[in-house]
Amino acid sequence: MADLPKDTDILVIGAGIAGLCSALYLARAGRTVAVVERGEPWGDASGANAGTLSLQVKRPEVLHITRRAIELWQDFKADFGIDVGFGRPGGLRVATNAREVDMLRHSQAEQRTLGIEVEWLDGNRLRDTAPWLGPTVLAATWCDWDSYSSPLQAGRALIDGARRDGVAVIGGAAVTAIAKETKGYRVTTALGVIACNTLVIAAGAWSGEVAAILGVTLPVSADVNMLSVTEPAPHLIDKVVTHIGGILSLKQYPNGTCLIGGGWQGQGGLASGRKEIDHEQLMHNFRVAIGVVPALANLRLVRSWSGFEGVAADALPLFGPLPGRPAAYVNACARGGYSQGPALGLLMAELISAGRTSLPMERFYPARFAS
Amino acid sequence: MTGRRVDDGLDRGQPFQFFLDGEAIVAYPGESIAAALVAHGRNVARRTTRADVPRGYFCGMGVCWDCVMVVNGTPNVRTCRTEAAPNMKVQTQRGVGEAS
Amino acid sequence: MIDTDLAIIGAGAAGLAAATEAVEHGLTVTIADDNPRAGGQYFRQPPLPFRRNGQSWFDKEATRANALFDVLGHPKVTHIPDAVVWNLPEPNVLAVAAGDRSTRVRAGAIVVATGAHDRPVPFPGWTLPGVITAGGAQNLLKGNRMVPGRRIVVAGNGPLLFVVGASLVRAGVDVAAIVEAAPVNARLTAALPGLLAAPKLLRQAIDYRWTLLRAGVPVRTGMTAVAAHGEENVNAVSIAPIDGEGRIDRNRIERVDCDALVVGFGLTPSVELMRLIGCDLDFHPARGGWLPRRSTGFETSVPGVFAAGDGAAIGGVEIALLEGRLAALEAAVRLGRARDASVRRAALTHKLARIDRFRRAIERLFAAPCHYLDLLADDTVVCRCEEVTAGELKMRGREAWTSMVQLKSTTRLAMGRCQGRNCMATLASLVAQSMGEPIAKLAYPRTRPPARPIALGDLLHEPIAPPELPADPHLPRGQKVT
Repeated sequence: MADLPKDTDILVIGAGIAGLCSALYLARAGRTVAVVERGEPWGDASGANAGTLSLQVKRPEVLHITRRAIELWQDFKADFGIDVGFGRPGGLRVATNAREVDMLRHSQAEQRTLGIEVEWLDGNRLRDTAPWLGPTVLAATWCDWDSYSSPLQAGRALIDGARRDGVAVIGGAAVTAIAKETKGYRVTTALGVIACNTLVIAAGAWSGEVAAILGVTLPVSADVNMLSVTEPAPHLIDKVVTHIGGILSLKQYPNGTCLIGGGWQGQGGLASGRKEIDHEQLMHNFRVAIGVVPALANLRLVRSWSGFEGVAADALPLFGPLPGRPAAYVNACARGGYSQGPALGLLMAELISAGRTSLPMERFYPARFAS
Repeated sequence: MTGRRVDDGLDRGQPFQFFLDGEAIVAYPGESIAAALVAHGRNVARRTTRADVPRGYFCGMGVCWDCVMVVNGTPNVRTCRTEAAPNMKVQTQRGVGEAS
Repeated sequence: MIDTDLAIIGAGAAGLAAATEAVEHGLTVTIADDNPRAGGQYFRQPPLPFRRNGQSWFDKEATRANALFDVLGHPKVTHIPDAVVWNLPEPNVLAVAAGDRSTRVRAGAIVVATGAHDRPVPFPGWTLPGVITAGGAQNLLKGNRMVPGRRIVVAGNGPLLFVVGASLVRAGVDVAAIVEAAPVNARLTAALPGLLAAPKLLRQAIDYRWTLLRAGVPVRTGMTAVAAHGEENVNAVSIAPIDGEGRIDRNRIERVDCDALVVGFGLTPSVELMRLIGCDLDFHPARGGWLPRRSTGFETSVPGVFAAGDGAAIGGVEIALLEGRLAALEAAVRLGRARDASVRRAALTHKLARIDRFRRAIERLFAAPCHYLDLLADDTVVCRCEEVTAGELKMRGREAWTSMVQLKSTTRLAMGRCQGRNCMATLASLVAQSMGEPIAKLAYPRTRPPARPIALGDLLHEPIAPPELPADPHLPRGQKVT
């Protein structure tokens, strides 16, 4: 394990997807970067999410960021030699009643106006595309961008990749104090003090706490998302499956395991640090999943767990300069931030290195909450 | 492993047959599939995903999942915990659940 | 939702004894077990149609077993067979997966009597067909009246090897050798006073030993299996002596031909459910590894949750029977329903103390420090489900031996269907060794439900109110009360 350096050009707080991707692209831009993490690197939301990289489930405001991100996810191997277990089978977003069919139509139309085309499927065409869907599925939209990565594999690969590029990634280094210096910041962690010129808060659900150390209030709350994985089973589901109501994400990995999520809420929260399974919510999650893909009923559940996902009050990314704190930035809580991670990392590197970004990002600046 | 039934005058009831990859196997009511196969000297339940090596009956109590086979078309059935039945079609499993 | 005074998890020796005690105090009992028929491992019932001389067949323990099974017919007892207790969503609620009978059970108190499984010790060739656990061999013998081979080596550590070896001999098998890690012969005299505390059990032990002696079975003490050989099935095993420091002497390897190898390195309690609800655990290798910390009344650190038998600490069937009774008695006391508690407690505790002396003597007899990790070759599979080898672990470990969690997530070890039952102990030893820390100090990865794999379809049946769906799925779904 690497020791905490005494100083660094850029210090990233948080070794999840946002922090590691920011560090990776900053290092590629020639900057010296260290990443400090309170627990294990990749130990919270990034390691405990569904790995879904779906474009069509995203809010209109972040569609273009997500599309960029999926390109970057796809290129990680070629660009960095980082194998994140990426697959791009395309995805189906399903509707199971008349109201959901209307919502899906509306969403399809909205995406079209933004230049994102998804294809409408129902009746025989839907069954031909996905014979494994259950009779409750009335319609679906098909998006060939929809992809997945393996959160387990991606974590290991990104940490290794960042280290290869000279980034110090240090776990067990919870930040307890931050002092403004003439140039940059002096950050006290559980493993010692580190000085930096520039600070990036990428602490996911904990970003509010970290910003508070600097006296800045960020309206962040935490969802406790439950996830489940099945035993490895023969080829069954060959697409990424999502739900217009936001209550299902489902995919089968090449190793045969199926990962079932959908934002069903476990018990606990940031304050207590508890993240437990909620029995009835988990039942609902499986019932929705089996309704959409009946053959899942025959597979065995091997593990269910929950992870925190930090969400800003308006469920849009917290991205950009921290108001009133020079050389301090935030990259966190992007709602489905895992899928957007590489793009938000790249854009953060652009913002810090060049002072501007290749996609318009001002609307996501945390200053929007300053009142 | 060339297992066998203990021959000590036990009346095991009416024998019947089931099939392992097409081969007829004799079993008695109440015997697990795995036990009937062991008694027949057929010890390979499956071949693994990564190394393609054989595995068979190991823990005998449903804990290890090494004895899973394809039973009547259903993959990943623990044969140590599933009773053999007349004419059952049991297949050696490959990887995550294909029949070989 | 079923409401019950006492929920018992496991219908083996401890669980059945607990149920027997509980009904004597007028408690309603719900007892769930993942086998189709009660009995657990020790009192495993053979197939129903098996007959001898026209009588349904059971082994020599039939009388005791049938007396225990009687409680299942008691009007206050509900037996849920073929049922996996897969979670304790609250410390007094069991989530039970049992096909269309799946339900939750709310209990005044719980006795966890989940039993044990073989302690895994990986060595080259241990995944070969024909290499089976001592428990697996017993189940063939008791559950199917079968033997796994013609010429069998029984290797490992602990009294169960002698039980299995003798049972195989009686079943007509050529037992090629018993390979026992502990130098038991040299310790017999010292152990005798303790063993005499339970004369019946001692007689049984002598009987096993005599059976082996009469059959001329070589009992190789102070040795261990170091490799199993074969392609599609084991055909030989290499054994080697262990020196006084527990080092394996590879210069003196012998090869023994066999067509089956039974391995038993002791048992380890099934503590998954207790991990799930956060019971405090302590590490006691002599009693099987991680054990729930229990009060003198067999209550875990979670109030109302009691633990008994081999599922709490390895002690064997006689201790399980007494602990089961005592745990149920203390549960009845806790519920304010106990009758003659002090008299019963005194009588049971007295018997338990006697058998405990025997147990401690057996433990000392079989104590065998051995560097089992030295058995691992780079290509030895540690995690049987995900096929993670010792070499892969060492490679990842060079970067980060610091944490079991990290190694688990980077290698996929313990992520398969056995949920770590066959590999976590080895991982813990490897990490502890390289860190120079005792195992007891390691951060153990969190246990997640289900406690055992269950079919997703099992979870469709429990009646629950329809969910509240999010109006806007993107918005925060709201923090629950913490």
